[in-house]
Amino acid sequence: MLPEFELLMPRTLPEALEMMNESSRVIPLAGGTSLLVDLRGRISRPQMLINIGGLDELRGVRVEEGYVVVGSAVTIADLKHNVLIAKHGQVLQQATRVFANPLVRNRATIGGNLAYGSPAADAAPPLLVLDAEVELTCKDAKRTVPLKEFITGVRETVRHPRELVTAIRWPILPEGSVGVFHKLGLRKADAISVLSIAVMLHRKNTEDYAQVRIALGAVAPTPIRVTPAEELLSGGPLTPEVIARAAQLASESTHAISDIRGSAAYRKRVITALVKRLLTNLAEGTKEKKHNESEGYHS
Amino acid sequence: MLHGRVLSSPYAHACVKRIDATAAEAIGAVVITFNDIPSVRYNERIITIPSVLHKDHYVLADKVRRMGEAVAAVAAETEELAEKAVRAIKVEYDVLPVLTDPIKAMKPGATPIYDTVLWGENEIEIEHNIACARSIEQGDVDRAFAEADVVVEGTFNLSKVYHAQMETKSAICRPEPNGGLTVWPTTQSIHNVRILLGQIFDIPLSKVNVKRVPIGGTFGSSIQMNPPIPICAALALKAHRPVKLTLTREEDAHDHTRYGEQIHLQLAAKKDGTLTGAKMEAIVDIGAHNIQAYSFLGVTVGWLVSLYKIPNVRYHGTAVYTNKAPSCAMQGFGNPQVTFATESLIEELAEKLDIDSLELRLKNYVGLGDTFWGQGPLVRSIVESDGVPELLHRGAEAIGWSDRPKSGSGTGRFRSGIGLGRGFHTSSAGAPQPGDVIDFSGAMVKLNVDGSVDVITALMDHGGGTLEALNRIVSEALCVPLDKVNMAPAETCSTVYDCVTHATRGVYAGGGAVLKAARTLREEILTTAAHYLNVQAHALTLKLNKDLEQGVVYTPSIPDRTMTLSELATRCWSESWKTIAAVESYRPVNCPPAYVTVFVEVKVDTWTGLVHTVKAVMGSDCGTVICPAMAIGQLEGGLSKGAGYALYESNAWSTDGQLVSGGYWIDSKTSGISETPHIDAFTAGFAHTYEPSGPFGAKGIGEAAINPVAAAYANAIHNAIGIRFYELPITPEKVLIALKKKERIHG
Ligand SMILES: Cc1cc2nc3c(=O)[nH]c(=O)nc-3n(C[C@H](O)[C@H](O)[C@H](O)COP(=O)(O)OP(=O)(O)OC[C@H]3O[C@@H](n4cnc5c(N)ncnc54)[C@H](O)[C@@H]3O)c2cc1C
Repeated sequence: MLPEFELLMPRTLPEALEMMNESSRVIPLAGGTSLLVDLRGRISRPQMLINIGGLDELRGVRVEEGYVVVGSAVTIADLKHNVLIAKHGQVLQQATRVFANPLVRNRATIGGNLAYGSPAADAAPPLLVLDAEVELTCKDAKRTVPLKEFITGVRETVRHPRELVTAIRWPILPEGSVGVFHKLGLRKADAISVLSIAVMLHRKNTEDYAQVRIALGAVAPTPIRVTPAEELLSGGPLTPEVIARAAQLASESTHAISDIRGSAAYRKRVITALVKRLLTNLAEGTKEKKHNESEGYHS
Repeated sequence: MLHGRVLSSPYAHACVKRIDATAAEAIGAVVITFNDIPSVRYNERIITIPSVLHKDHYVLADKVRRMGEAVAAVAAETEELAEKAVRAIKVEYDVLPVLTDPIKAMKPGATPIYDTVLWGENEIEIEHNIACARSIEQGDVDRAFAEADVVVEGTFNLSKVYHAQMETKSAICRPEPNGGLTVWPTTQSIHNVRILLGQIFDIPLSKVNVKRVPIGGTFGSSIQMNPPIPICAALALKAHRPVKLTLTREEDAHDHTRYGEQIHLQLAAKKDGTLTGAKMEAIVDIGAHNIQAYSFLGVTVGWLVSLYKIPNVRYHGTAVYTNKAPSCAMQGFGNPQVTFATESLIEELAEKLDIDSLELRLKNYVGLGDTFWGQGPLVRSIVESDGVPELLHRGAEAIGWSDRPKSGSGTGRFRSGIGLGRGFHTSSAGAPQPGDVIDFSGAMVKLNVDGSVDVITALMDHGGGTLEALNRIVSEALCVPLDKVNMAPAETCSTVYDCVTHATRGVYAGGGAVLKAARTLREEILTTAAHYLNVQAHALTLKLNKDLEQGVVYTPSIPDRTMTLSELATRCWSESWKTIAAVESYRPVNCPPAYVTVFVEVKVDTWTGLVHTVKAVMGSDCGTVICPAMAIGQLEGGLSKGAGYALYESNAWSTDGQLVSGGYWIDSKTSGISETPHIDAFTAGFAHTYEPSGPFGAKGIGEAAINPVAAAYANAIHNAIGIRFYELPITPEKVLIALKKKERIHG
C-alpha cells in the first residue's frame, strides 16, 4: 500500500520552481508510474511530492530554431500519436509502440522516463541516437545537458534536487536519415527491456553513410552509445563484413549487467545478433520507409 | 466496517521474540497477535480425511516460515489508518537460516523448519524437513528393466509458479449478536471455510454462515482456506465490528504457488514400443506449510500410471518443507509436472525406436476399459469413454503432423517445429469406495408457482462457467426453459454440503448432484400430477412446451390429461399442500479421465532464443459439451497458462526467501494476450464421446486443458532445434546457451 505523503499542487511552472526551491526534499511527481511503484514498495520514502504532470508549460511538442522540443510532461501515448514526432522522431515513435501497456503509456511521461535514471528506459536509446539534450530548470537558472551525460548511473542523473527536467530537444535530422528501434523483452507487451537498441543512419549517398549512431538500453548501468562500433562504421559502405565486425565490437565494448531478466553473457550474445540484424536491414532497405522492427505489441 | 491489514514478516525464517503494538493501539487500531488467536493447529485444506491430515498452521505465527507470513494484524476505520497502525507495530525477531532448496533442506544438520506437526490427532516429529513421503510399487520392476530393449530417462525441474488469479485473497467478516460470524471470502468451498472457522474459533457451525461470492479465478489457490480469512475473522471477533481484509498483489504472490518439483523418471520399453516399466522419484518443494502434500504424493504416481499402461512401477515421493510460499493445488495438481516429464520421454523413446510418437502413444495410452487411478491408489475406476484416437488423428491432420520436419534438421535463423502433448485430468476424485479424499456434492431444486425453478447448491464457480452449466443440466432434466432456471445465491446455512470446486469436478460431480436432485424433483412432479390428473405416475412424462414457455406434464395416450408445471405448483400452493422440492447428496462412483491433446507449432529465433507460438490445435474429450463457448474458453486459457508455464514464468526465489520479482507482475511473466496465438491460428475441437457416469454424458475439462501444454511446447522446440529441455520455463537465455553448446559439439 502507498504510505502517506504530502502533495503540492502548483498551477504554473514558476510556482513549481518556487516550491522546489524551498526544500531539496520535494520530489517531482509526473505520471507516477515509477515513483508510486517505488513508494508502494518502500524503495523510496519522500515526505513531499510535487505534482508537475499537469503543468501546461511542460506539455506540447514543437519545432523551434532547428530543434524538436518536447515538454517533459508529454506522455508516451501523446508521443505515439504525434505528427511532429512521426516526422522528426520516427525512431522514438517506434519505441513508444512497445512501451509498457496502453494504461501506463497514458500516464508515463518522457521526462519521468529519463529523470528516473533507469538503464532500461525505452525512450533513452532513440533519444541518444537523435543526439538529444535535456533541459533543466531551477528557480533562477536554466541549463542544457547532452542526454549522453545526463544519466550517470543506475537511478542517478546530474539533475540537482531543486531542478526540474523541463524539456527534451534534438536537432532536426538531415534529409536521408533513417532510424530504427528494437526492443527485446521476455514478453511481447508490458515487459521491461532485456535489451533495447536504436540505430540511426545519416546518408550521404546511396552507398556511403556520413554517420552511424548506435545506442543500447538495459545492458549497462546507463543507456549507452556504442562509440567504437559507430566509428568503425562511419564513412564507409555497410558491407556485411563491416557490419559483422561492428556488431562484434558493440558486444565486446559493452560492460553488460546481469539481472532478473537476463545474464550479462546472454545480453552480450544478443547485442551481436541484433546489432547485426538491424544494420543489415537498414543497409539493405534504406529506401523502404517502413521498419517494423519491434516484436512488440502494436496498437 | 473496519479495514484490516496484516503485518507481514520481512524474514523468511524467524522466531517472533516480542511484539509491541502500543503505538498501533494508540492510533485507534484493534491489534491481534499470536496471543490473541486460539491455539488450534489446523490444515487450511480439509479435503483429505481427518485421520491422515497434517496440521501445521496457526491463524498467526509465532515462528514465521516464509517471507510475508502474518505475525500480527490490525483493523482500523480506514485502510490508510490500518496501514499506518501496522507500520507502528514493533517486532523483535530471532532470525534463522533460510532454506530455499529442498535438497539442501533434507541434508543432515539443516535448520529444522518444524519440530513437530499433527498427523490426524497425533503429534509427529519432522525429521530432515521431510513433511511426508510415500512409496508405491506394483509388479516386478527390476525384471521389467532387466528385460527391457530400451530405457529412457531424465531429470525434470519444474518451477514453483504463481497462480496469478484475477483477484487477490480477501474476506469480509461480520460478527453477529449471537456470537457467530457471517463471512464473505474468496474460496472454492464455502462449507470447508465454515467448518474450519467453527473448529478454530470454537463456534457452533449453526452460527457460522459463509456466503458464496462470485470470483474471477483461483486456479486452485482457494481450495484451502486462505490466510486472510481466519485473520479477518479474529479481527472482527476482537473488534466486535465487521472487518474487510484484502491482500495486496505483492502479498498474494508470496502466499501461494504451484508445487515446485524435481522428477527423475525412467521408462522401460520393448522394441515394438510396448511400455513395460517405470521408475519415478519425486522431490517436492512444498514451501512453508503442508497444505496437501500427502495426497499430492499419491496423485503424482497416479498421473503417470493413468497416462500410459505401465505394468511395473516403482515410485518414491518426498515432500520437503522450505522457507518459501506454501505450495498448493494449481490447475492440474501435479499433473502438468508429471505429464511434462512423461510426454518428453515418450517422444525420446519414439525417436530411439524410430516409431512415430503418435503411434507410440496410441499403443500405450490408458483408454477404454482400462483401470484408471489418476487421483491416487485408492481412487480406482474403469475408463468408459475414450476420445483419444479421434483427438490424436484429427489434431495431427489439422497441424500437419506427418509433414513435420525431422528434429533439428532446420537451418537458418528461424526454425519451426511441431510438438505434441497428450494428457488428461480426472473428473472429480470419486470412486466406488471412500478414499483418503473427500468427494461429494449436494444440491436442492425447487419448483416455483409460475413453473420456474430455483437451484440451490454450494458449488463454486471461479469464472469457468460452472454454474451456467448446472443451470443447463437442470433445464434439460426438467424440461424447463433455461431462462426460468435460477441459480440461487448460496450460503452455508441454507445449502447442503458440497466439498469443493476442484479436481475438474464442477460439471461432472456438482452437475451430477443437481441432476440427481432434478430427477428426484421430476419424480415428485409426476407423482403429484398423477394425483391431480388421475393417471398412474409412471404413465406421465415431461416435455418443454415452447409456446407456453414452460414444462408440461402429460401422458401421450390421453391428450387432455395434461397440466403445466405452473398449474401444478400453483394448485399445490393454493390448496395449501406443499412445495415441490428435492434435496440430494451425490457421491460420484467414478472419476473418468477428461482427455486433452495439444499440438503446437513454434518458431524459434536462434539469434535471440525467443520462442513464438505459430499455431495451436487443441482437442478435448469432455464427453457431452454442455456449454461449447465456455469449454473453448477453458482450452484457450489452458494454452495460455500452459505457455506461461513452459516459456515465461520462472517465479524465482532469492536465497533469503524473497521472490526475485518482489511480487511485481511486470517481472512475473504470465503470458498475456500478445503471447496468445492469433484467433485464426488456434483450433479447438471436441471428441464425439458420451460418458455414461456423467450428467448427460459430460466429463470435466478445466485442469485437463493445461496438463499437456508444457510438454507440447518442449516437444515442438525439440522438433525445431533438436534440443530437449528438462527444466521449465524454457527461456530465451536457456535456448541460446543450449544452441551454443550444440554448436560447440557439432562444430
Ligand atoms: C507496468 C509498467 C510497465 C512499464 N514498462 C516500461 C517500459 O516498457 N519501458 C520503460 O522505459 N519504462 C517502463 N515502465 C517504467 C515507467 O513507466 C517509465 O519509466 C515512465 O516513463 C516514468 O514516467 P512517469 O511520468 O510515470 O514518472 P514518475 O513515476 O512520475 O517519476 C519517475 C522519476 O522521475 C522523477 N521525475 C519525473 N518527472 C520529472 C521532471 N520533469 N523533472 C525532474 N524529475 C522528474 C520523479 O521524481 C521520479 O523520481 C513501466 C512501469 C510500469 C508500472
